[in-house]
Amino acid sequence: MKPEPMRPSEAEALPRRDFLKVGLGFSLALTVAGTLPGCSGGAKTPVAGYAFLQPSDVELFSALAPAVAPELGAFDAARRKVALDALLRNVDGSCAALDLGSRNEVRKLLDLLAIGPLRYALTGVGAWNGAGVDKMQAFLARWRGSRFATLNAGGNVLVKLTASSFYLLPQSWPSTGYPGPLEYVFRAVN
Amino acid sequence: MALPDIYTEGIASGWKVIDAARLTAPQTLEADVAIVGSGAGGGVAAETLALAGLKVLLLEEGALRTSDSFRDMDEARAFRELYQEAGGRATSDGAIAVMQGRSVGGTTTINWTSSFRTPEPTLKHWAEAWEVQGHGVEEMKPWFEQMERRLDVTLWEAHNANNSVLMRGCKALGWEVHAIPRNVRGCWNSGYCGLGCPVNAKQSMLVSTIPEALRHGATLVHRLRVRQLQHAGGRITGAVGEALREDGRTPSGTLVTLKARHFIAAGGAINTPALLLRSQLPDPHERLGRRTLIHPVVLTLAQMPERVDPFFGAPQSTASDHFQWKDGATGPMGYKLEVPPIFPGIGAAVLNTFGDDLKREMSALAHTNAVLALLRDGFVDASPGGRVRVADDGSPLLDYELSAYVWDGVRRAYLSMAELQFAAGARRVRAAHVDAVYHDRWADAKEAIARLPLRKFRASIFTAHLMGGCGMSQNPKRGVVDSRGRHHQIANLSVMDGSVFPTSIGANPQLSIYALTAQNATALARELRG
Repeated sequence: MKPEPMRPSEAEALPRRDFLKVGLGFSLALTVAGTLPGCSGGAKTPVAGYAFLQPSDVELFSALAPAVAPELGAFDAARRKVALDALLRNVDGSCAALDLGSRNEVRKLLDLLAIGPLRYALTGVGAWNGAGVDKMQAFLARWRGSRFATLNAGGNVLVKLTASSFYLLPQSWPSTGYPGPLEYVFRAVN
Repeated sequence: MALPDIYTEGIASGWKVIDAARLTAPQTLEADVAIVGSGAGGGVAAETLALAGLKVLLLEEGALRTSDSFRDMDEARAFRELYQEAGGRATSDGAIAVMQGRSVGGTTTINWTSSFRTPEPTLKHWAEAWEVQGHGVEEMKPWFEQMERRLDVTLWEAHNANNSVLMRGCKALGWEVHAIPRNVRGCWNSGYCGLGCPVNAKQSMLVSTIPEALRHGATLVHRLRVRQLQHAGGRITGAVGEALREDGRTPSGTLVTLKARHFIAAGGAINTPALLLRSQLPDPHERLGRRTLIHPVVLTLAQMPERVDPFFGAPQSTASDHFQWKDGATGPMGYKLEVPPIFPGIGAAVLNTFGDDLKREMSALAHTNAVLALLRDGFVDASPGGRVRVADDGSPLLDYELSAYVWDGVRRAYLSMAELQFAAGARRVRAAHVDAVYHDRWADAKEAIARLPLRKFRASIFTAHLMGGCGMSQNPKRGVVDSRGRHHQIANLSVMDGSVFPTSIGANPQLSIYALTAQNATALARELRG
């Protein structure tokens, strides 16, 4: 689906005050979040075996994956698990390889989305675990259609990171028409 | 049958190659010339100086990756091992994706081989507007010829289906179109230039100048980050290198002290200004890191009736300058039209859609042609380029704003590209833009493009060409270095990479870097031996 500008009813469903502040930058929103009672920024260390992704980030990308790449949802359970794991490792490796400036920006975005009340206010999703594809797609469309450049930027990062991480996997290629490495050359050099 | 690996054999024969990740104790390395960066500038400088009999130290932050590791022909491995920030480099606000190499050979290891001479209007503009001397059309000619011979630059006319779209569209419309000269020797026509050439056909620095420098006694140190140039009394007195771990990013804690009579910064137009900024070199006229030019790239996407297999065959072999110089060097923004290859991972990022849209577009990948426009920035005041800064940890940041002048170029480029794709027989076309949808007819696409909101994060923008930031000019108030690449304030420091360009090139810049470096490094060699 194409991202559409947020409809008035959706805009009203979001707490306007937080939304405006986020429009000014994620760091400001995080400051606001820090003052809200009961908010915590989630764990501060990566999941075991990962270089960058924290538990809440893994939940986010696991929910994004089938929303961004529906092919993944069509895999049987065993293949889906293997592909999702490889996708998450691609996301993790991509984030970990960023220089400080970009790494901090991605971290701020993911930290923001790890805070329950803010997440709900900004995305309409209460918890990543169990969030349906429709809900995740509505969140992406809303962010990318927003008049706030910061939300557009966040939406683009999440979509591109997830989509590339999926289509870099050989499991995805049969649905693209890319047959894999050009055969006569691959054979000759291997 | 595996092809012989140049480096495995070379190292066995005694080449001096040091992997800094394996160093466990502090080292001191000395040479006549220390070169920071092994891409287009560093590679040519290393060969030129080593052949002149000078002792050369070639320092590279990335790892040594050779044809043995390119054999998997895998996009994910290529991004991880051969690109800056694993392919995720971007401007500081995230609005422009930056494709830049990061391994021995720099971007030449992963570029698409397009080898253009610096366009004549660009050279003339440098002399007239930027007080550049010695790089006029006639003066550069022998250097272009020398580097074209050295790197087997030849016109490629066996266009794949993807490049044929551009050729066909331009011819149908009566637009200028030409075949692209490529630096290849015995090319297998695979299309994997961007993933590291698996057959060593691409004459990148990795397989040409760097091996030749090593044969002549140069020392290559990789996975070494040069943190700082130390200076006193208007001279560089030495440099400090941090050995990196196997991951190629984290310092291991082992320091390498570098001593040389002369230093050359050749890390490219993002990392070279960052190195000079970290080193706090004098910059009395505030030129350092300013005017970073990037050839902003925008694209349109077409679904063709025929298979174009945009991943296979020489990736870039046709181009059009129809819109490049028609208003002179300083009119409304000019642009060069070319075709990029599309592999699935990068393709998904360029499409930048999700859900059923993405699925549909990816399933049509084999029929998808993209045309790109390289926008020629830096020729007028309304296009001053960007700025390189350094983050708290010393890593580079690139700011780049898009003025109304640039956006005007973007919209005209979208229109040109869509028109040519329809003229070549496209079934449907859209701009690579968040708000764009496919149109089946040129008239509809034209109307829709005219209305597209042109803002960051809506238009997809890329760059693969980093230039400027240490611009050359004979006038110290207007440039960081003089026309020979010598730093205006520091006696024994030169810059030899794309960062010396006063404007963007107006074409893929590798041959411009090669020729300018060959010329300036030859003069430097004469001076150092004198």
